[in-house]
Amino acid sequence: MAQSEDIEDLISRVALGDRTAFSSLYDLTSAKLFGVALRVLNNRANAEDVLQESYMKIWRYADRYMSNGMSPMTWLITIARNTAIDRLRATREGADVDALADRLESRGPTPEQSAVAAGEAARIVNCLDQLETDKGQAVRGAYLQGLSYAELAEKFKVPLNTMRTWLRRSLISLKECMEQ
Amino acid sequence: MTTPSDTSDDGILAAEYVLRLLPPRDESAFEDRLVRDPVLMDYVTFWATRLSGLNAEVAEVKPPARARRQLMERLFGPTETRSFWQGAGLWKALSFASAALAAFLAVQMMRMPEPTLPSAVQQLLISEIAAEDQSLRVLAIYDPSEDRLTVTRTAGQALPGRALELWAIAEGAAPVSLGVLPDDPSTILTLPEDLRSQVAGLTLAISDEPPGGSTTGAPTGAVLAAGQVREL
Repeated sequence: MAQSEDIEDLISRVALGDRTAFSSLYDLTSAKLFGVALRVLNNRANAEDVLQESYMKIWRYADRYMSNGMSPMTWLITIARNTAIDRLRATREGADVDALADRLESRGPTPEQSAVAAGEAARIVNCLDQLETDKGQAVRGAYLQGLSYAELAEKFKVPLNTMRTWLRRSLISLKECMEQ
Repeated sequence: MTTPSDTSDDGILAAEYVLRLLPPRDESAFEDRLVRDPVLMDYVTFWATRLSGLNAEVAEVKPPARARRQLMERLFGPTETRSFWQGAGLWKALSFASAALAAFLAVQMMRMPEPTLPSAVQQLLISEIAAEDQSLRVLAIYDPSEDRLTVTRTAGQALPGRALELWAIAEGAAPVSLGVLPDDPSTILTLPEDLRSQVAGLTLAISDEPPGGSTTGAPTGAVLAAGQVREL
């Protein structure tokens, strides 16, 4: 994996329309983003589409990254993850209770915001480990696989409202743990 | 201001938003608030930052080559045989030249407390054509009122037995030769008529050529330096 500053430099050049920098950025980061998309979608063809769509957004919105001043790799991953989750939900029409309830609603683009700092990986894993196993797994399922409340409820065989309560409590515990 | 109880609710709502657990309607409503509310944005940043640690668990998977090819075609159109003007050298040189020009202008600002341009004069245009390693640096200033392109070489020279040729590249067009730079560090060139109206969008570049310049009408040697033209 390339250094954070290298990726940041490439993004700033992409923001100026530098195609060579864009190619380099793709070569350095596409394996990670493809991994993220595959993890959510579990389907290579869809993940390839999402990968392309993600980089088209990156090309278009690179200047937005500059103004955010956030960690470059997480910004890229957030775009890929959100694009993959959008795709997942679009292709699973009707399977998702939340989506059913809001079928007529469409959602706009998700603002990309995210940041990663060194040590965050260890920290979140440590805090998740302090939760009960199922509860930690539910948070991972939501983040890494883009599972909705309804899908989580099904997976862990609990009623939807119980899952909501579980997860919100887990998030409160996580927040306290990570703020320490 | 948020009360403590709002704060904790919003903190969890932000986590649900980042995790993509909110139903579409709530997600849109949250985004509407997010645009206006920096406190909410801080919560989102907090969660996005912390949760992103989980990405360490995601294995890298090299995508197939066709994904890259399709992406580049979708963004930039079908790739012809890549002319070397679209290659890495020009862009590298350009990105460097921008920084060099900014530095040049900053110095000029300090040196010239008052504008020295006569008020009637049209806007001057400037380009610093620089090599990445500063081994070649040429300053070009275009005065539209006199149609003069003053070219001053401030660093570097042609290789022994070679020449430096200056090219103007309009967006999407082939390079047009402006001539071979003389041994004399400063020279005045004239722009071809059809380029005069689009000076501000031009890229200027210098290539390494045989003595007397390229005989093909197109650059044949390496791009040594490049710069974009902008208003001074």
